[in-house]
Amino acid sequence: MKAVEANNLHKTFTSKKESVEAVKGVSFSVEQGEVFSILGPNGAGKSTTILMLTTLLGISKGTASIMGLDVEKQDKEVRTKIGVALQDTGIDLLLTARELLYTTGRLWGLNKQESNTRTEELLQLVGLTESADRRVKTYSGGMKRRLDLGLSLVNEPEVLFLDEPTTGLDPASRRVIWDEIKRLNNNGVTVILTTQYLEEADELSDRLLIIDKGVVATEGTSDELKASVGGDVVTFDFEKEENVEVAKRLIDNAKVNQKQLRITVENGAEHIPIFMKTFTENKLNVKSVSANKPTLDDVFLKVTGFSMENDNQSEKKQSKKSNYEKRGRRIRR
Amino acid sequence: MSDHQAPFFTQLGILTKRLLLRVVRRPLSELPNLIISAFFLFIYDGALGRVFGASAVGTSLDFAQGNFVNFILPVSIVSASLSGSASGFYIIEDIESGVFKRYQGMPISKWSIILAPMVIGAIRVLIQASLILLIGSFIGADPATGFSGYLAVLGFGFLWGLGFAGYSVAASVKSGSSQGAQAASFFFFPALFIAPTFVPREALKGWLSTAAAFNPTTYVIEAIRGILIEGWVFNVILPGLIVGGIFALITLAYAVSSAKKVNEKG
Repeated sequence: MKAVEANNLHKTFTSKKESVEAVKGVSFSVEQGEVFSILGPNGAGKSTTILMLTTLLGISKGTASIMGLDVEKQDKEVRTKIGVALQDTGIDLLLTARELLYTTGRLWGLNKQESNTRTEELLQLVGLTESADRRVKTYSGGMKRRLDLGLSLVNEPEVLFLDEPTTGLDPASRRVIWDEIKRLNNNGVTVILTTQYLEEADELSDRLLIIDKGVVATEGTSDELKASVGGDVVTFDFEKEENVEVAKRLIDNAKVNQKQLRITVENGAEHIPIFMKTFTENKLNVKSVSANKPTLDDVFLKVTGFSMENDNQSEKKQSKKSNYEKRGRRIRR
Repeated sequence: MSDHQAPFFTQLGILTKRLLLRVVRRPLSELPNLIISAFFLFIYDGALGRVFGASAVGTSLDFAQGNFVNFILPVSIVSASLSGSASGFYIIEDIESGVFKRYQGMPISKWSIILAPMVIGAIRVLIQASLILLIGSFIGADPATGFSGYLAVLGFGFLWGLGFAGYSVAASVKSGSSQGAQAASFFFFPALFIAPTFVPREALKGWLSTAAAFNPTTYVIEAIRGILIEGWVFNVILPGLIVGGIFALITLAYAVSSAKKVNEKG
């Protein structure tokens, strides 16, 4: 029996003005005990797919099952098999971690004694025993994520869905969550996670699925996907950014990734002098060049035409800019 | 592991207790609502009590039968009941923070998710109404039905509060935003004032008298007035009870059906 099976999933959101098809026929399956990552640019349909699988959103077309149970027809039974920590599932900030875990345990049908015991276990598991009686609003982002993870484990789920579990966390907090995911997986829990961080997907996943524009772009293990890119990736940085587009027209199969030109070839190092000669003849001054084995970002770029690493970096810059703007406004006031 | 589902009343109790903790942990936000109806009771009595109170006995203005506090107290009780609308804001907070979605992913009855804020709203109304009755008794209220009349009035306050809490929850769930909930609360003003608020229905002008006949608040105010001024007059109390009960049932059903559609909003 598969842990998760999605067959030709569709989701259409209809409003008075328009109809948007967010997921257009996504199919995949996850074996029991796997860690399975779903990657994709913003708006690709990752979260919508997760919401459908976790019974939180109706399926427009297609079918899905969790541990052999039909997501649409047996939604109540499905909920007992899964744990869910989504980006937009919230935590009551006025309560303490202990109160939240206890309350959640009681809602899952545990009696008072069982719920108290489970609360202590989970507090210890997610490392919040010392701060268990503090209101959650005083917690750091990492502590809230750990608590969120703890809350999703109250019912001892067989399949755990984590939607971007480490987004916005510092590297140390991210590492704690990773360790916890690995530990749960070692104990037999199947984990399905979406992430914006390729490093995270590479570190944790047995298999990956890339979704773009609501359809599956590719699927496989990290090594299989990297091998599918083929050869080496040669990356050029130019002194003048506008030269990237000019350079692209000179080389077959070159891809522009913001300010860089990426070319996938066999034996990349041997091709560098040939490319350099072409650029020099066309007066395109190269600032730096490198040849590497393909990364998941190269896979991503190949199948979506879009770099996730640069997207994350530009998001960070945007966030910094917005913080500066906020600070500026505060100072001006 | 358990059978993964708490009994309905356990769910309701747990969710209500959680909301109660939220209320207790930010008492200052509750204070204005608690005192506003009491404040208006003083104002109404101060402004109109001399004209329609003891000095009106024997005149055509003696609809309060000499005790204007008895007459105006139901308005303050109904006005306090409108504070059951705070329930909508509790649920909006849960929707906006994502707590509502967390509960949807658990085997919890939607009725208990919706009923918990309604119960809190009604408890809040009960506390407020008790305070008003206490103040009312200090400034001269003298129910024709004695102490049991006070209890009956509290019962009406609870029922009406439950109804308004349901309306507020439904409007909030439908709109999904605090602005929507705020806009829906505008309905409370016509509900309170297109009614025999300051004079009996017979004394209202033609159009207002007709409109008041279609306003369920009218029957609740008249039932409470009946208890306080006339005694156990069931032909007045019963319509209030029926209207209050139907209103609470309709708004509860509306709230639950709205909650079922929240999923599809994604």
